[in-house]
Amino acid sequence: MKSLDPRVTRLPETGEAGVILTKAPLDQLGTFEVFVQPKEGKPFQHEGAIHASDLEMAFVLAKETLTRRFTCTSLYVVDTRSVFVSPYTEGNKNAYELISEIPANTGTLTAYEVYHLTKRGKQHVQAGTVDGITPAHAMAEARKKFGDKVVYNIWVVPTAEIRFTSAEEKDLWLTLPDKKFRDASDYKGGDKLKEFLERST
Amino acid sequence: MNAQALKELLYKVADDQLILGHRNSEWTGFGPLLEEDIAFSSMAQDKIGQSHALYQMLHQLGEQSPDTIAFMRSADQFHNCILVELPNGEYDFSLMRHFLFDTAEAIRFDMLSNSSYLPLSELARKIKGELRYHTLHANTWIQKLGTATDESISRLQQSLYTALPFAIGIFEESPFEKDLIQENIFAGEQELKIRWIERIEEVIQKTKLSLPTWSSVTAVTGGRSGKHSEYLQPLVDEMSEVFRIDPTTEW
Repeated sequence: MKSLDPRVTRLPETGEAGVILTKAPLDQLGTFEVFVQPKEGKPFQHEGAIHASDLEMAFVLAKETLTRRFTCTSLYVVDTRSVFVSPYTEGNKNAYELISEIPANTGTLTAYEVYHLTKRGKQHVQAGTVDGITPAHAMAEARKKFGDKVVYNIWVVPTAEIRFTSAEEKDLWLTLPDKKFRDASDYKGGDKLKEFLERST
Repeated sequence: MNAQALKELLYKVADDQLILGHRNSEWTGFGPLLEEDIAFSSMAQDKIGQSHALYQMLHQLGEQSPDTIAFMRSADQFHNCILVELPNGEYDFSLMRHFLFDTAEAIRFDMLSNSSYLPLSELARKIKGELRYHTLHANTWIQKLGTATDESISRLQQSLYTALPFAIGIFEESPFEKDLIQENIFAGEQELKIRWIERIEEVIQKTKLSLPTWSSVTAVTGGRSGKHSEYLQPLVDEMSEVFRIDPTTEW
């Protein structure tokens, strides 16, 4: 019987002579930003972005895409368009210096998660939360609260738009420490092959 | 404790997981999008890991080593239900099977978390989070695609009709049902089936999919006693190909 494994059977079909087609356009879903808490009590850090059809699907897909190897106690996701980004700086220049004061006009205060980039090329790490009327106002509030230390970039994310890990979902990562086999180095494939070859000669 | 009854239970649960784990792993590298490919592959890996834990229990009870059990039997010695051995088909079928099977699996282990056989209740509690993820993943996809486009809805509907008779076959009763229930090892296939129907209806009601009347669905059984479809032996051959080159080698 022919193999049912698509790795074997689903190679592209061979074509007919003379048929030239345009390349099919990319059909891509939107992106969502993924934030991970590696250990209880540690701040959340930005782990990367993934494609998904909506927020709930983003949570589901982020879990295996970005937390399948290292320890994790919680993760959350938000639409990329909900992450508000300050100008970048470098050297001794604090990104907060580029954030202007915004007077608290009328409006409703809502919570924002504040993220800092403290080393260029590293990931953004959560600094805390602030209340703001708009993202710009939230960033100005973050300056009052966290602005005394040099950071190279600031993100604010409306808390209400985040899909958090619920308390009962905390067990999603319970068996992760047992899955060392997911790390290629744990497998020692070369050693095993070598031993087999030595035995069979 | 009735060792024969317990072993029968362990074999069928483990074989379900091993065979479906292998089947689902056939999607690795071919998933509909990268993130889903990774998620589906990880869950396949979880299933094989869970089957390994059960084969180890069987080994403790005097059966062969886990690798020998997994790779050295022929198809008619497997106790898995036929649902899990069916070819992957298109992704809609694989997703629907994942939803129907994993819902049953999560309820089964929830019931087993109260088992009088302690290694089993401990395992059930340990893998609760893994199973929570598997059903969250399945429910999210079924709800999403079950309400999305005409094509996605009709594909899932077709897959649901195709898979249901095999899914009811999950609950094929063991000759030891009474012993398992009496000794509080497992509360039985009938109770599992009742809880499964409730959960399936709950999710399907949130979609544009419909379920047939349950009494009109005829279960496809036989898997639990080794009577399988033509699809299992080729899977077993492929799965054990490397191991059988030299069963004493550690791979």
